[in-house]
Amino acid sequence: MARASHPQAMTPHRPGSTRTAPPQVPDTFWSQPRMRTYLLFDATGIPYLVLGLIVLRVAVALGRGPEAWQELMRDFSNPLYLVFHAIALISVIFVGVRFFRLFPKAQPARLGPIKPPPRPVIHAGLYAAWIAVTLALLVVLGGLWP
Amino acid sequence: MKTLLLRLEPVIWLLFGAGILLGTLLLPGYLLAVTLGAPLGLLPDGAMSYERAYTLASHPIGRVLLLALIALPLWKGAHHVRALLADWLGHGPDPVIGSLLYAIAAAGSLAGIYAVLTL
Repeated sequence: MARASHPQAMTPHRPGSTRTAPPQVPDTFWSQPRMRTYLLFDATGIPYLVLGLIVLRVAVALGRGPEAWQELMRDFSNPLYLVFHAIALISVIFVGVRFFRLFPKAQPARLGPIKPPPRPVIHAGLYAAWIAVTLALLVVLGGLWP
Repeated sequence: MKTLLLRLEPVIWLLFGAGILLGTLLLPGYLLAVTLGAPLGLLPDGAMSYERAYTLASHPIGRVLLLALIALPLWKGAHHVRALLADWLGHGPDPVIGSLLYAIAAAGSLAGIYAVLTL
C-alpha cells in the first residue's frame, strides 16, 4: 500500500480549479535505479557517523597514554574493524566521486564580479586536491616524513 | 522541535557541507594509513607508535585535523542518515529522529573539542 509523501512538497501557492489526490510515494520507490543510487549515497551517512565516533576514540586513546593506544591498535586489527574500515573507505570514495561530479554544477553562475572557472576545471581541481591531501596524509601518517 | 530544526538549518547545512567536502578530502588518507595500513603491517616500523602518533596529533595542525576527522563525518553522517530515514519512514518522525542525530553529532563534536584540547 502506498503511503502519503511529504504533504507540503508539491502544494501550489493557490489551489487550482482541478481537484487532485494528495501525492503518494509508490511502494517500489527504492527500486528505481536513480533512487537506489540516491539512497545508497544517503546510506553512506551510516559509516561516516560511526567513523566520527571511532576517530573520537582515537583522540581519547591518545590522551590516555600508551596502553590505551596499544589496545586501540589491537582492536583495529580485529577483522570486524578491518571490514568496517574497508566499507568506510569504499563509501568515502563513492561519496567523493558522486559529490565532486555534482559540485561544479551547484556553483553560482556569477558571484559579484567573479565568474567561477569552467566546470571541468573545478572538477579536475577537486580531484587534484583529493589526491594531494591523500598522498600528504599517507606520507605523514605512514611514517615517511617527518 | 520542527521550528528549531528549521531555524538551525543554515548551521546544519554548513557543517554538513563541510563534512561532505572536507571530510571526504581527508578521510581516505587517514583510513588507508591508520585503520588499514597499520593493522595490516603495511607501514614502516614505528610509524604508528604511541610517541609518534602523539607528537603528530598534539601539533596545532594535528589537533585541527584530528578535530576535523571527528566532527565533519559526524555532521555529514547525521544529516544523511536523517534524509535516509525520512525517505523510508516518512516525515512524521523526522523532527525526533533529526534532533536525536544532530544531538549525537553535537555531543561528539564537543567531546572531540575537549579531547584534542586536552591532548
